[in-house]
Parts: sequence; structure tokens; C-alpha cells
Amino acid sequence: MGIKYFYTFLLLIGPMFLESRPISYSGGSTLMLKSNAMQNSAYYHYSPSYKFSIGIEQVKDKYFDADYSSLRLTYLLNRKNTQHSQRNLYLQSGISSDGVDHYFYGVHGDWETRRLFSGFGYKETQTASLDYAEKYLQLGVAPYIGEYGDLHTWLMVKAKHDELTNEWNTYPVLKLFKGNALMEIGYTDASEWDIHFMYRF
Amino acid sequence: MKNFYLLFVMIAAVYTSAQDHQMHDMEGRNHEGHLHDTMVDGKLLEVNAERFDDFVLGLEGKQVAIVSVSGMVCDFCARGIEKTFSKDKTVLKLDVDLSGGKVLIAFDKDKNIDFEDIKKKILSNGQNATDLQIIKI
Repeated sequence: MGIKYFYTFLLLIGPMFLESRPISYSGGSTLMLKSNAMQNSAYYHYSPSYKFSIGIEQVKDKYFDADYSSLRLTYLLNRKNTQHSQRNLYLQSGISSDGVDHYFYGVHGDWETRRLFSGFGYKETQTASLDYAEKYLQLGVAPYIGEYGDLHTWLMVKAKHDELTNEWNTYPVLKLFKGNALMEIGYTDASEWDIHFMYRF
Repeated sequence: MKNFYLLFVMIAAVYTSAQDHQMHDMEGRNHEGHLHDTMVDGKLLEVNAERFDDFVLGLEGKQVAIVSVSGMVCDFCARGIEKTFSKDKTVLKLDVDLSGGKVLIAFDKDKNIDFEDIKKKILSNGQNATDLQIIKI
């Protein structure tokens, strides 16, 4: 199992790590831009309802110097709203322009209040030459409670495990959002800075 | 013994009332004549006093729907509520109170406010409207 496979793995599942709010409100669109040591990507999705989104992602692969697109679908399987919390369970899938033998599927969920956040995810990716799984856990706390329209801040820790290295990698994530814009900044030894910007309209 | 008991009850009632009053003042909700002190259907308006008073400025003669919403835990996920209601031309003004879990919506006084329609709009953003209070300004 070489370093190339390891980087391939990171490249393919990278977007999942910093992805949040995968479905918008009914009729809403979302643009996501991501950049890290191995790839730049632009992902646009449209939500016909609050229960699912469909989108296309264009990826510039820095490591392999390649470009490809993915058609992605996310479905809200379950949501529980209470006065002070929300819990979500999502199914996600995608197929690459490289061919029908390159696709992924997975599940991720979260529970959050205005102060606390917890999330998990599991994703299985299949390619012509490699199949692998990835899972993560994420915990966060808001250091202050902002009002509607304020700048909101989350301090988070994410722990992920991949089958290729059979190791847990834990790293900090800072999430900021204001209005319709959200930014997440994470750092890992493996992929260095990982920046994710999201805008809803 | 009976008098002592009555005296104790009266002192306790006064003390409790004073404490409530003090708390009310501390929260800025005891401004005489302000609408957030109004009873609607036998219930006091459950709103952030300062926020509500700011919201109703300039809305004399209008009506405000105070919608209780569950699942409204973050600013980013509540944005769709504002977007959805902004498409409704009968909506004059809107505010989201994240801390109180309320959405305030101002309408003309003649508008027939339909809770089912509001529920549908809130649900299209993935949250649930659980209660509605309407107050004439």
C-alpha cells in the first residue's frame, strides 16, 4: 500500500471532511469552494426541497494533475427538531465522470444546539482499482452565542479514521459564518491547510 | 397560629412578587405600556422584550405574527426562513430571534394570517412551526 494510494484516498474523501449543511432550504442553491494541498474544487448544489440536494462538483486534482467532475446527491433521511436542538441523518452518493466504476456512498449525521455540536460520518468509495472506507467523529463548541446576523464562531475537533493507514488522525477546525456565508478552516499534518468556503443564495 | 400562618403566606407572596418584578426589570421587560406585556389568548407574549419593541417601531396599525419554531439552532440554517417569507409580498417585515426560537412577521391589519401556510413555509426550510400568537400593534 503505497503513499500514492494514501494520497488518492485523501484526495477522494477530502471534500467530506469539511462539508457541512449539505442540503439547503427548498429552492435554495449553494456554492462551495475548497482548497487544500491536493486539490481545488467547486461544488454547486440545488435543493428542490429541504430533504435532498443534487449538484455537480468540479475537481482540480493537484497531486495527479487531473480534472474530473462528480454528480452528487444528498438525501435527508431523518431530522428531529426540538426547541433547542436539531438532529440530522443524511445519505450521500456521487458518481464520477471517470466512469460508473468510480463512485461513493455514505451516511453522516449531526446533532447540535446553539452551544454544542457533534457529528459523525461513514463513507465508502469505490474506484476501478481501489475500494476503501472512511469514518469520522466531530465535536464542537460555540465560545459565545451570537444573535441572528452576527458573526458566529465554532471551535471544533475532528477525528478521522481511514482503512488504508488504519490510523486515527485528529485535528482542529475553526468554523465562522455570517449571513449567507460560511468558512471552515482545518489543519492536518497529512493535508496541511484545508479551507472551505460556502455561500447560499 | 392561624394569623401567623396568614402573615407568613402574605410575606412569602410579596417577596415572590418582588423577586419576579426584579427579574422582570433585569430582563428589560417591564416597560409600562409596551406591547410585549400584552396577553394574547390568555398567554403573555413569549418574546425578547427589547427585540420585540425594536421590531414593532413604525408598525402602528399593523399586526405581528409571533411564530414559535423548533429546530432553529443556527443562523446559517435559519436564513432560508427569511428568504422564503421575503417572497411573500404581504410580509412587511421579518425578524428571527434565535435565542427565543421565534420568528416575528409583520402583516397589514387586514391580512388573514394562516398558520398552516406559515407552517408550510417554515417546514420548507426544514424547521417546525409549533405555535402562533398574533398581536395588533
